[in-house]
Amino acid sequence: MPATSSDIVRLAREPIDAQALVAHVRGAGDGAIVVFDGFVRDHSKNRRTLYLEYEAYEVMALAKMREIATHLHDNFAIDGVAMAHRLGRLEIGETSILIVVSGAHRAATFDACRYAIDTLKRTVPIWKKEYFEDGSVWADGEVPPVPAATPPAETAS
Amino acid sequence: MAGYNRNVPQTSQTIRVQVLFFGRLKEIAGLSEESAELHGDASIASLFAQYATRYPQLLEYRSSVVASRNREFAAWATPLHTGDEVAFLPPVSGG
Repeated sequence: MPATSSDIVRLAREPIDAQALVAHVRGAGDGAIVVFDGFVRDHSKNRRTLYLEYEAYEVMALAKMREIATHLHDNFAIDGVAMAHRLGRLEIGETSILIVVSGAHRAATFDACRYAIDTLKRTVPIWKKEYFEDGSVWADGEVPPVPAATPPAETAS
Repeated sequence: MAGYNRNVPQTSQTIRVQVLFFGRLKEIAGLSEESAELHGDASIASLFAQYATRYPQLLEYRSSVVASRNREFAAWATPLHTGDEVAFLPPVSGG
C-alpha cells in the first residue's frame, strides 16, 4: 500500500504539536499508536549543551521522509504515519523529531516506528550543530548509502 | 562570472549546473548555493575537484562527503547535464 494522502510529513520551524499528530493518525480501525519523540538533551560527550541548530536540504529531506513513509506502508501492517522534524534553533528539552505510527496491532507498529527513526537518521539530509559554552561543533553524523554506480543512461522502453 | 570559470571555453561543450553546500561544507566554501559552468563531460567528482581547488579544506572531508544529483544520492562518477542540481552533503545528523 503506498503512502496515503493522509500521512503527514513536514519540516517545522515552530514547536511540534505532538497531540495533534497523534490525533491525526488515530483511526477507528487501529488498536495501537507508537510515538518516537526525540528531544534535545542537555549534554553531549560530557559537555553541557546550550542549544542546537538544525538545517536541512529541505526539498530532498522531505522527499526522503516521504520515501520512508511509503516504505512503512509497503512493509509493515500499519495504518497512519506522521513525521515532523524541527529546523532552526532548538532549546534543551524541545522535540526535534516526532514520528507517530498507528496500526491495528502493536508489533508492526513498534517495528515500523523503529525502522522510521533509524532510517531517517541515516538517510535524510538534515544536520545538527551543537552549541556549547566554549564553541560549537557539527554533530558526528552518518554517511548515507549511495548507489555504487551510475544508473544506466535513459533507454527506450 | 566567477574567476575560476575563466578557463572554461564558451562552447556547446559547456554545461551549467546548480551547486549546493550544506553544514560544515557550506561554512568552508562560504556559500550555500551558486550556478557553476563546467566542461560538457563533467562528473560529480570533477565538480567537487573544481571546488576543492578554490577551497582546499574541502579535501579534508572528501571521504565522508556524499553527493546528490537532482535530489537523489548519486555516485561520484555520475555525469552531469545542464540544469542538474548537485548538492554536497556531509554526514547527516538529523533526528
